[in-house]
Amino acid sequence: MNKTARKHDSAVLVDEGYWSSVSQAIQQEAVRLLEQGAVAGVVGYIAGRRTGTAMPVVAATPDEARQLIFSPACVNNLALYFTKAKKEVSSKGKLAIVAKGCDLRALAGLMGESQLKREDVYIIGIACAGVYGAHADRSQPLCDATIARKCRECTVHEPTGADAVAGTLPALQKLEPLEAQELARLEAMTPQERWAFWKEHFSRCIRCLACRQVCPFCFCEQCLCDRNRPQSVETTPRPAGNTAWHIVRAMHLAGRCGGCAECERVCPMDIPLNLLNRKMAKELKELYDYEAGLTPQEKGPLTEYKEDDDESFIK
Amino acid sequence: MPKTITEQNLNSLIDALVQDGTRVVGPKRAGTMTVYEPLSAGVELSLAEMPRRSAKEVFFPVCENILSFQRTEQGTTVTDVDVCTFPETVLVGARPCDAAAAPVLDAVFSWDYRDEFFLERRKKTTVIGVACTKCDDACFCTAVGLSPAETRGSDLFLTPLAGGGYVCQVVTDKGEALVDQHSQLFADTPSATPQPLAEPAAGQFDLKRIKAWLDNHFESPFWVGISERCAGCGACAFLCPACHCFDINDEGTEKEGHRRKHWDACAFGKFTNHASGHNPRDAQPERYRNRIMHKFKYYDDKFGQTLCTGCGRCIRACPVGIDIAAILDEIQKQ
Repeated sequence: MNKTARKHDSAVLVDEGYWSSVSQAIQQEAVRLLEQGAVAGVVGYIAGRRTGTAMPVVAATPDEARQLIFSPACVNNLALYFTKAKKEVSSKGKLAIVAKGCDLRALAGLMGESQLKREDVYIIGIACAGVYGAHADRSQPLCDATIARKCRECTVHEPTGADAVAGTLPALQKLEPLEAQELARLEAMTPQERWAFWKEHFSRCIRCLACRQVCPFCFCEQCLCDRNRPQSVETTPRPAGNTAWHIVRAMHLAGRCGGCAECERVCPMDIPLNLLNRKMAKELKELYDYEAGLTPQEKGPLTEYKEDDDESFIK
Repeated sequence: MPKTITEQNLNSLIDALVQDGTRVVGPKRAGTMTVYEPLSAGVELSLAEMPRRSAKEVFFPVCENILSFQRTEQGTTVTDVDVCTFPETVLVGARPCDAAAAPVLDAVFSWDYRDEFFLERRKKTTVIGVACTKCDDACFCTAVGLSPAETRGSDLFLTPLAGGGYVCQVVTDKGEALVDQHSQLFADTPSATPQPLAEPAAGQFDLKRIKAWLDNHFESPFWVGISERCAGCGACAFLCPACHCFDINDEGTEKEGHRRKHWDACAFGKFTNHASGHNPRDAQPERYRNRIMHKFKYYDDKFGQTLCTGCGRCIRACPVGIDIAAILDEIQKQ
């Protein structure tokens, strides 16, 4: 890498003032909601102990709400806390959520699938400049080298349909679409090469199921992968069962995935799971002209049947 | 007088062991990360980065067959795994936090039931630990009473020297035997200056005080506050050098198959699900409480040891930023 490239990699993408103004706007709105008793809690982020870290929190008092932040470390998709899987959170009553564009798509998906009613959630949308990638050096600010791959191609920097918006979007520079390039590279491979690529990745899977647990769309109370009487896919972390699990998950998310890429971010074994999600989303777009968006859609192509469905691809 | 070994001779030691047919496992670069894996040559050893997964899988693999079964017209036959076939192994380049976890696990695997799979691998493994000269803000070995130069669990312990190479401290007979067998690779160096060790930032925990609080706070709103964020995955437990819960599953066809022992985790919703449908740990805070209780109370009650060596992997990997060191700090301030 030459000197110019290195300089470009570490150039700060967003001024420090942006993060603090978004944080202040979130705090102000959250305190107001809690003081007025409009919500039982605000699902947002607080700073972690370590440099450049944050974690989800359900702020239930104005004092807690004053701790809320937004920074490049606010990576989680908080829509997770509105699912059946997090019943200890969702049973508290009406909640507000701090939502980036990718979280908004998840909320719309949950609404479309009758998991959440619009009137049961107060959305504090973020005019979002992007967040850190999985193994970013968090001592650095948000820059070309540290921004998440999904944020490089984000189409929802400005939230729509939120009850309140926190922050004003700064001017953003266009970044190289690394994930689209990687997807194109995979698509150009022969089936054998692609199979070898995924086989190698799935062989590392330890079945910690972090991919499942952080996904807002993995809300089934009985997961196929946990069934053992009869067993649907091998539950043990071996290559065959791992492959089956990840393919089942990709199929299950086809047309539903909101593209938050949390599955990929949390994978301790660095399996590029969002490439699978993106490939499936692309297929759904091509075959059914359907894509997950910001408007709740009741029926998805893989959850409804029409007599004139295109069946030409069934061989 | 302590012996020393050069980097090159450490590589030669690995080469010699591999050539003798010994299984050598050590940190190795694999794609985007470093993992403990079988080495085929000394040059593969990569000590620069903390391995993503702990070294526990040398003794307790992520998944292993514990018997196989075949069904024929004559009936069903069951074949045990012969643990005598497990290979002699040298684990080289173990982090002190990983090496120290193995003797802690000996207690639970040789308690009311002796787990021959774990114990046979322990018996056949020689551990070469390496002192840490680097750490990050997730590391907290010093807070739980260990250190970047902790020799517990190592048979031979290497401390990097300022001018390159290592001081070799023989810790056990196994370590001594290894040095004796390969004495030509080791040298006597009268004065050698070790590199400065890593300095984890976390202050010492008062583990007795933490345990005393846990003894009396099974029910506490504290658990809800700190752990409702828990997503219920097994990343923390699976990367932990000391977590050791496993499940057993029969897998195969109607004709043949295997009984398999594989990692399990208390964070999973189904971990305590009863056949009746009742689940005594029905919500995530109850499950996270169990993780802390198991490490800092139950294991201590039963075996007089703490089930955590401060490696920080759970902190680095937690999808929702749960920081066990921050939680312990909060508990000791209660």
